[in-house]
Amino acid sequence: MVKIYTFCTSSIMVKEESLKAAKRITPSAYSAPTIEKNSAVKSKKTVDLCFPLLSDLVYGNPISLDALLSTFPGRRTQILELIQLLGPLNSPTLPLFVYGVPSTGKTSIILQLFRHLNRPFVYSSFRTCYNPRNLFESVLNLLLLHHRVAANGYSSTKRCDKLSDFVDFLRDALTSLIKRLKDDVKNSVSPQSVLPIDGYMIYLIFDHLELVREWGKSSSMLQFLFNLHDNLNIPEVGFIFISNLAPDMFCSNMTYVEQIPVYFPSYTEDDLRQILLRNQENQKLYSSFLNVVLRPFCRITRRLDELSPIFESLYMQYCKPIGDPSNVILSEDMKRRLYSNLMPHITSARNETFRVLDYAAPGTETSTKFEMKGCKRKLESSKKSDELDFHMSISAKYLLISAFLASRNQATLDASLFDSSGGSDSRKRRRKTPDKVKAQQEISEDDLQTKGPGSFPLERLLAIFQCLASVAEGSSDEDGGSDDWLGIGGESAVVTSNILLQISSLSNVKFILKGGSCPLEGSVRYRCMVSEDLALKVARSLRFPLAKYIYRR
Amino acid sequence: MSFGKMAANGAAIESLNLIRGRLCNSDFIFRFLCESPDSNYSKLKFIFSSSITEACNNSVLLLGPRGSGKAAVLELVIGDLLKEYPDMITVVRLNGLLHSDDTSAFKAIAKQLCVEHQLLFSKMASSDDNTQFMLAMLRECGLAHKTVVFVLDEFDLFTQGKQRLLYALLDALQSISSQAVVIGVSCRLDADQLLEKRVKSRFSHRKLLFLPPSKDDLLKLMEHALSLPIDSSIPQDYAVEFNARLHTIVVDRQFQEIIDSCWESYPTIRHLMKFLFCAVSSLDLDSGYLSLENFKTALPSMQRQPKMESLRDCSILELYILVCMKRLEVKEQNSYSFNAVMKEYKMVHDSFHTSDYYGQNVCLRAFQHLLQCGLIGFTDGRVGHNQAIEFRPVKLLISLSELTHGLKFYNSCPALLLKLCA
Repeated sequence: MVKIYTFCTSSIMVKEESLKAAKRITPSAYSAPTIEKNSAVKSKKTVDLCFPLLSDLVYGNPISLDALLSTFPGRRTQILELIQLLGPLNSPTLPLFVYGVPSTGKTSIILQLFRHLNRPFVYSSFRTCYNPRNLFESVLNLLLLHHRVAANGYSSTKRCDKLSDFVDFLRDALTSLIKRLKDDVKNSVSPQSVLPIDGYMIYLIFDHLELVREWGKSSSMLQFLFNLHDNLNIPEVGFIFISNLAPDMFCSNMTYVEQIPVYFPSYTEDDLRQILLRNQENQKLYSSFLNVVLRPFCRITRRLDELSPIFESLYMQYCKPIGDPSNVILSEDMKRRLYSNLMPHITSARNETFRVLDYAAPGTETSTKFEMKGCKRKLESSKKSDELDFHMSISAKYLLISAFLASRNQATLDASLFDSSGGSDSRKRRRKTPDKVKAQQEISEDDLQTKGPGSFPLERLLAIFQCLASVAEGSSDEDGGSDDWLGIGGESAVVTSNILLQISSLSNVKFILKGGSCPLEGSVRYRCMVSEDLALKVARSLRFPLAKYIYRR
Repeated sequence: MSFGKMAANGAAIESLNLIRGRLCNSDFIFRFLCESPDSNYSKLKFIFSSSITEACNNSVLLLGPRGSGKAAVLELVIGDLLKEYPDMITVVRLNGLLHSDDTSAFKAIAKQLCVEHQLLFSKMASSDDNTQFMLAMLRECGLAHKTVVFVLDEFDLFTQGKQRLLYALLDALQSISSQAVVIGVSCRLDADQLLEKRVKSRFSHRKLLFLPPSKDDLLKLMEHALSLPIDSSIPQDYAVEFNARLHTIVVDRQFQEIIDSCWESYPTIRHLMKFLFCAVSSLDLDSGYLSLENFKTALPSMQRQPKMESLRDCSILELYILVCMKRLEVKEQNSYSFNAVMKEYKMVHDSFHTSDYYGQNVCLRAFQHLLQCGLIGFTDGRVGHNQAIEFRPVKLLISLSELTHGLKFYNSCPALLLKLCA
């Protein structure tokens, strides 16, 4: 899965099992000159991929502690704590559990820390290792310095998908590797050879541990990982677990987190200011910009990955009146002018969701996809609010509208809404609602609020669809338009397989959800997940009077 | 840096590595506790030696909480006996996490027996073959007066399923020809109750309970673990000074209070060692001596309150949502969804005119953050998967007092929130 870090410059990083990728992870903004060197090393390495190098296990190009601390403002205590816990060279350590909310620099700091320490480590993330076998093989590949290239058919060194096999292989691999590292340390006592690797401790890093909770046999895997240190019982191996979730979320009756906890708190407002100010051309201008925007947005979220894209676009707006932001002398008057210019944009931005949440909380997958559409739509809709920004066939639009109506209205009202003439004009509010009925309706309104859209059988959807189609037919005739879009045909009204296909494609994009079957009827029930805004918009694009059909009190 | 200081620094690093190594090494720690005659070590050793010397079968369960040293003591006993009776013991180690299904367990047993006796292990052998092989090996070993020790770590996990492995092992112990010891290690005190009837009747019902050591022993153990050896490569005067300072810390009242607080929160030796590890790691390498300060700073990092921390990580908007949910719970609404929370949020806004009123989308994002960090959760579990988040019933996963407490310690928390929450 791709996680986009818009830290300072937006560099896309793909977390991969290979260490090469781990080296690439750091946003390029950290230290430009070393990165260049790094890439030179990398290109050299790609030539001899097949010859295993011990130096593949370290990050390469060690950086000083000062550089490390200045790269991560607001993280001084955490870095120093980690250094203390990892200890001096070749010192045994207990497993660590690093946790904190997303985008607090956990992974980057750990990786850069190992770059500073220049010690060998094996990084694996559960984002890419989505099942046990994947995890086992990638860890073993890294430990055995095995590269998956065309020459070996992109195969792993060992095929293993059982925990017991993995432990055996892992123990063998680790002991032989440690022996090799120890030999290297012994042999290179002579001062002229510079050691590529410091020490013989090997650290296994497991990232995104929270994802393991969703695995089927999650509890056994977690317990296995947490006990791996005791199971292996090799003092030269250190373990680091990185997770978004606090240790108490991993507790169950079987697992107990016994690692030493290291906590990364979310950035404070001052930290955020320091981070955002890095790599800005015009510090003064940006700082005055932050004075305006940082506080109100910090009340909504303190996550850097959400704040930085919105600030980027707002800053563009902020700079617009100036033209060239690199050489501007800021006067108080100027600031005020810029501020009043930005004000309307802030208010609109504050009420928009900024970016798609790419790490969906468990169980929210269904909605994120929809939300993604909604978000995109939202952003563009600031320009032309009436238009849909995605294409749909007309029949699909009608289907969507009918699904929306079926979800929204009670089934008992269908007859009054779409009676035999098919016209909407025959609909009247005959009943003068007595108080009792009114109260009942209030309850049903509440139900809609809390329970969400109602479900409906396929037949009802098709019936409503046919009614709507016949209305549309009539109206388009009046307009003199000759749309022969109807696979369904007003008079013939035959449900062809095309319509069923449309329904399935609508449910593929999660506009319609297939729910559980009704216990009495035994048929599958559907549910429409579209918001009223979107439905109205779709109707508008068809010039269909949807508002008339929505039942209101 | 002067040469003398360099040397001092080197000595400090060396001693730090030594102490860290000790704290990570459970053998070292538990060896110290094994000396008394009525310790579990002696009992276990007695059981073993009797079965080695008198050629009888035995089975025993080691029970105790995690980190109380069951496996470590067992390893010590096995290590000592291997030295005492070389070539008379074969150890087969199984772990409930790795070999909980019978097939892989039999395979692992056959494999380990093969390695031990220089036989060729066939990967192709069926589970039945492996069982037969194990029984045959037991017979052979019994005739040769060799004892086979089966160590079943995480014993409770072996009781899932048909318990074929346990039955086969314990049944083999009933015959005169075999000479074996089966040792189960478990943190479930009711582990023997999990056995099936036919297995239970074959088990000896011998149980060793691992209890936490006394306070005196603990203090002695800590001083033992942290003090430096006088006769080693570490400069002698440094070691003597280090030990003297350590002793003054250990007898200090404050230190004992810290240890008490740590011990009360989780009374196992491993937890205590973890605490000492943190304290020792913060040793100042320039001065090179431990101080009481090291232990004081290590204590809060051991006693974390994750819920409070995640509350502190929340933004103001997220706090608003939490407070609204709390109000709904106080009103005893047994089931409410995001939309109901939004209604409450709007009501709060309408009556107090807060400056923090945001659109539904923004609130939904904040709501998702809360879900993600586990402060709130869905009540419908996996059933509601095909329902949008807005409509799924939710609940707070922190208690109301925790929320109030957390708000009080939140930096710049709006006064209105405190009022609403009170």
